[in-house]
Amino acid sequence: MKVKNFLSLFSGAAFMFGSHVIAHACSVCLTGANDPTADAFNASVLFLMATPYAVVGSIGGGLFYAYRRKLAKPEPEQIEQPVVQLRLNQEEVGR
Amino acid sequence: MAKDSTARVLPEFEPPVAPRKNQFGGGDLPPPVRSSVPVGANAWLAVVMFLGSEAMFFAGLIGAYLVFRVGAAIWPPPFQPRLPVIVTGINTVILLSSALTMRLGVHAVRRGDRSKLVRLIGVTGLLGAIFLSVQGFEWLQLIHFGLTVSSSVYGGLFYTLIGFHAVHVLGALVWLGVAFHLARNGRYSKANHVGLQICAMYWTFVVGLWPILYGLVYLY
Repeated sequence: MKVKNFLSLFSGAAFMFGSHVIAHACSVCLTGANDPTADAFNASVLFLMATPYAVVGSIGGGLFYAYRRKLAKPEPEQIEQPVVQLRLNQEEVGR
Repeated sequence: MAKDSTARVLPEFEPPVAPRKNQFGGGDLPPPVRSSVPVGANAWLAVVMFLGSEAMFFAGLIGAYLVFRVGAAIWPPPFQPRLPVIVTGINTVILLSSALTMRLGVHAVRRGDRSKLVRLIGVTGLLGAIFLSVQGFEWLQLIHFGLTVSSSVYGGLFYTLIGFHAVHVLGALVWLGVAFHLARNGRYSKANHVGLQICAMYWTFVVGLWPILYGLVYLY
């Protein structure tokens, strides 16, 4: 099983790095180096790639912080309710 | 001889004298069960998710702006009116002050000071309205000098990015008006002011977004 996984990974990597056709799917790679348009797309793609991590990380971090703050607060003391006597009271019945 | 009775004789049941403290076979008692009250109100969580989607919306617009800005050899393009940097800078300070007054309003309601809350919400709305008015006046000047949505990519980008932010500020102002009316009627208390809290969150988001847009569009 391990050999099979290794062979799958190796063949996938060889296909990816060996195939020049795949590089043509990327606008940044296709236009070449030192091209302002390529640089512009690169900057935009990097920004848009980082933003979801920043947003989700902020939301998750805020929720975690609120949860830890709530844990640190002492629990309010529960008001003890008297247990109601459910068994039949002979005196009330009048017997 | 009669056969001995096969009935079992049950021992007399004796209730325990004292309740057993350690019922789990040794060691300390388990920790007390904490209450199931959630960390934040449902409305608070909903607004947090909404603000996440708004952040991604503006990230898309900023990404589109970056493509044209970084790819241009000369920026702003020639023969385009120059943006009013100083006036908008002062406007930025006004908008940031509104975020401060909004925060102070939330602190006031947590202290139970209703009159101060109403005053601070009013001041926040007034500062927001001033910001929008100055922006609108500057836009009229720019249109007069020839920068429109269809005049160039520069104009299209400017009005799209800044225009969407202005629409969000307008929406936040409407919400602030509702919050002002509710605060005057005493709907927000020290114990329950989730409505005001989420309004403050949205306002803070809209205000916090502006310096990023100002730096990107006016200064960069």
